[in-house]
Amino acid sequence: MRLILLALLVFTFSTHAEEDLSAKAWLKNMSQALRDKQFKVSIIQLQADHIRPLVYLHGIVDNQEVALLEYLNGPPKNAVRVGNRVTFIEHDQPAYSVSAPRIQGVWPAALAGDISQLEKGYQFVIGGRSRIAGRPGQMIRLLANDENRYDAQVWVDMDTYLPLRFDTLNKEKQLLEQTMVVELIELSEPANILIEAAKQEWPAVINQAERTDGKNWQFTWLPQGFDVVVRDHHRLIGIHEPVEYIALTDGLANISVYVARSGENPMPNELLTRNGLSMVVVKVGTLEVVAIGKVPSETLDKIANSLVLK
Amino acid sequence: MLKSSQEWVSAAVDGETDENSLAQLSADVDSHAQWQRYHMIGDTMRGELPAAIDLDLSASIMAAIELEPTIIAPKAQLKESTEQVASRPTKTSNVVPFFKQFGQYAIAATVAMVAIVGVQSYNQSNDAESPLPVLTTRPLVGTVSPVSYQTGAVQNQQNYSNDQVIEQRRRINAYIQDHMLQQRLNPGVVIDENNNQDAAVKP
Repeated sequence: MRLILLALLVFTFSTHAEEDLSAKAWLKNMSQALRDKQFKVSIIQLQADHIRPLVYLHGIVDNQEVALLEYLNGPPKNAVRVGNRVTFIEHDQPAYSVSAPRIQGVWPAALAGDISQLEKGYQFVIGGRSRIAGRPGQMIRLLANDENRYDAQVWVDMDTYLPLRFDTLNKEKQLLEQTMVVELIELSEPANILIEAAKQEWPAVINQAERTDGKNWQFTWLPQGFDVVVRDHHRLIGIHEPVEYIALTDGLANISVYVARSGENPMPNELLTRNGLSMVVVKVGTLEVVAIGKVPSETLDKIANSLVLK
Repeated sequence: MLKSSQEWVSAAVDGETDENSLAQLSADVDSHAQWQRYHMIGDTMRGELPAAIDLDLSASIMAAIELEPTIIAPKAQLKESTEQVASRPTKTSNVVPFFKQFGQYAIAATVAMVAIVGVQSYNQSNDAESPLPVLTTRPLVGTVSPVSYQTGAVQNQQNYSNDQVIEQRRRINAYIQDHMLQQRLNPGVVIDENNNQDAAVKP
């Protein structure tokens, strides 16, 4: 009897400990878990009418993070990350590596990164609990501080603190994108394939000599929390048109701003897609400013109009 | 009684009966067939038979009336279904090959294709042939499903030629592909500007 009481006491205490966690603490635990835990997750990604199944493996081999992302439908598409080098293996082009601390395409970068960075643009609010992939999950809302970005919500596994589901919502609370775990297996040691991947010789990180620094474009206005992360001058894939490029991010939303000479044909002023990606074109004299990103098109419009050359 | 009733009928046919018995006769349904037969016999004897003897006209009219709705209704359904059949192939020919051609791989191409739907929905053969650089990069993020395409009030898309539209789509493609590619190349966290982690992938 005493044992049972003791067990009950411990149990209530441990649940108390969980409840006491702030929304930010949950997110911090999640960020930590994404980097430290060894696990295999099967995920589906929903975008408008597309469903993409994928498998993501993460482990620690020789003190460095090794991860593998595999898309299960369609032509083989994989990405392998060993340390800070991510190699993309696709059927239609030779494998290439880039230097990055994560594999892009599963969870937003910020979830595994510095959570405090998100605080400038979002408020963290604890939501309800629900069961996802057979596990209890705690929902944390990432409420946009202003009208310039979309809201998001993430469900964190109450056991491992790994993310179970991530939704992006527009202002009308309609779902734009959803990434949801359907199976989560925590591993005690790295999966064999990750050990193999760590031993494998991968292509060297591609040479970036072609890129030069761009001109000193400045924004007179940027939404709170957005910062310039990249600024350069390169040619567009495919049409090889030179562009001045500026990348902005608030941690969740990424915006690309291009300045190019206007083509002979006018571009559409605005292009919207159902998964939230928008594109806005503003003409300034003989130049066109193109802004693309998963934010409301009004934001892109304001950003594009605030660009000045200093 | 039977005999006498037959006589009544016969007398009525010949017009040799009073109103009272006529009313009685008309109430007697069994006698109607006899009434008809007696008239027929009379007609035959007077040589007034029509070329084709329609023995039961009322019945055939009744049958015709009864048949009529059942005939008309299937006809209407038939017409409707043929309309459906006729309209369906044109719809599918508009939509299905359109998306099958590129499938889910061509992210940016899909966006651009919708751009053209808004502009010129009749011109589809060019989509397959236009030199879209759709396979040079396929960002890991995946596909974009376009929902709307808006242009300013000043622009009049209808006036664009095919070449202009294709050129426009190529440019939209290029921008969106580049944006997706940048997501791969840029770590997505604030880095200092001398960091050369960004790079161009030459297709």
